[in-house]
Amino acid sequence: MSPRSIILRASALLLLATFIAAPQLFAFAFEPLTVNNAPAIYNQSSLLTLTVSHLRTVFLATLASTVLAIALAIFVTRPAGREFLPLSRSLMNIGQTFPPVAVLAIAVPLVGFGEKPTLIALFLYGLLPIFENTLTGLMEVSPRTLEAARGMGMNARQRLVQVELPLALPLILAGIRLSVIISLGTATIGSTVAAKGLGEVIIAGLQSNNVAFILQGGLVVALLAVLIHDGLGLAERMAARKLGRSADEVS
Amino acid sequence: MIEIEHLTKRYGADIVVDDVSFTVEEGEIAVVVGTSGAGKSTLLRMINRLVVPNAGRVLIDGQDTATVPEDELRHRIGYVIQGYGLFPHRDVAHNIATVPRLLGWDRKRIANRVEELLDLFQLDPGEFAQKFPHQLSGGQQQRVGVARALAAKPALLLMDEPFGSLDPVIRGKAQDDLLAIQRRLGTTIVLVTHDMNEAFHLGDRIAVMDQARLLQYATPAALLAHPAEAFVEQLVGTAERPFRLLSLVTVQEAMEQGNAEGEPLPLSASLRDALSQLIWRGREALPVADASGALVGRISIDAILRRGRSLA
Repeated sequence: MSPRSIILRASALLLLATFIAAPQLFAFAFEPLTVNNAPAIYNQSSLLTLTVSHLRTVFLATLASTVLAIALAIFVTRPAGREFLPLSRSLMNIGQTFPPVAVLAIAVPLVGFGEKPTLIALFLYGLLPIFENTLTGLMEVSPRTLEAARGMGMNARQRLVQVELPLALPLILAGIRLSVIISLGTATIGSTVAAKGLGEVIIAGLQSNNVAFILQGGLVVALLAVLIHDGLGLAERMAARKLGRSADEVS
Repeated sequence: MIEIEHLTKRYGADIVVDDVSFTVEEGEIAVVVGTSGAGKSTLLRMINRLVVPNAGRVLIDGQDTATVPEDELRHRIGYVIQGYGLFPHRDVAHNIATVPRLLGWDRKRIANRVEELLDLFQLDPGEFAQKFPHQLSGGQQQRVGVARALAAKPALLLMDEPFGSLDPVIRGKAQDDLLAIQRRLGTTIVLVTHDMNEAFHLGDRIAVMDQARLLQYATPAALLAHPAEAFVEQLVGTAERPFRLLSLVTVQEAMEQGNAEGEPLPLSASLRDALSQLIWRGREALPVADASGALVGRISIDAILRRGRSLA
């Protein structure tokens, strides 16, 4: 990484942290966007609390998608589960085609308002990228490498843990990154069903016709997405470099 | 000692290996040679049970391999495949340590063994231990592949076209290196190839296979002198036969008393190499020197021809 890009990232991170911790410092920038003396900075709850619960929702949902998607991808690439491959692929695709808004609408009567319906929507939406990438990663392991592993007396579990998963790791990480980024943006709609999150700021802005709110909610989500995307991309490149591939091949 | 008894493999109606039996003595190299699709690889993979035979059995030092758990059996048998199948995510030291780690050797013992093997294969541990497979040349990858197979000191090494992806220049050197290491360790080797020259160069005994059947199993000399079937004769090459025979005999066996002019030939050179030198240097005879460089006799074109005629 060049020194310039490090400085750029560090300053973006610093800017974000300052803004979340002490948004009033930036009130001057948002004031021109308000009318009728409306507040320039969202004041119903602290931006810090909202950011933390937003990230928490995304983290929990992605964690659940990751566990299920990887487990399923492993299962359908074993001899015992191979016949479930087409079925699980269709299920994952359905999860992706269902709009999260529709999932929220269905989930609220079942589990009530709050964080739960958002978690369900994000979980379903995040499955596909991780599943497909894990699947590709596992199926791309060279048959020769696996033959050598078998020939040296590795059992099925040793082959999976010591050979297949490490070789699929860069692709799995790419899938998780994609899923996290999608969830970060999608989580904002959770605020329509009373989940705590940065969506609250945006929705408050829309309701009171306050562009400043919309902008600050949107900016925080966008900056978070860019920084997290970057950080996970870095981890992926490190994993890929070990395998002697260039980063472009996996991303 | 490896005893292969009536091994047979069928896939549906196709018979891939048909009632093959032969014995490989301790410390010998048996080369299985034949055209592609002759069943050579399947035969080899039945020895470590990567393929389960429909009939027949394999005995290693008298023990039926079917009675040993598969993984345990494979820990005891080295296996080298074409392309080597090195683990791309592990460095050279970790690749070589694969089987010792599966066997639960302690860290110190593994490190010592890895260093010993790297030395044996002329790979400087300081330079190569931390390298990843993609940073190695083809020849280096080949050596790491063989080192990995020998890591847990197996008594038997199976090799499936181990030199197949090397270019001809490196291939000859790699074969010589393998021979030297095999002589030193006394490992029994079963090697599969489609290259007849390789078979004659490496094999103590050669098994010729065609269309799932074993046509002949014999020493290289016997294979040349008495080919069992027309196919074997065709495979060993009728026109090349005298030269192949000469390549199996060393200068020592046709040496005469006396002296000659010119640069001496080593005792261990084959008659084929000696003849080639005599022709190329335009001489009737050349002196012969032993390993220490002392002159011990001479080798003449006449003696080589006489020897060659007696072999035929």
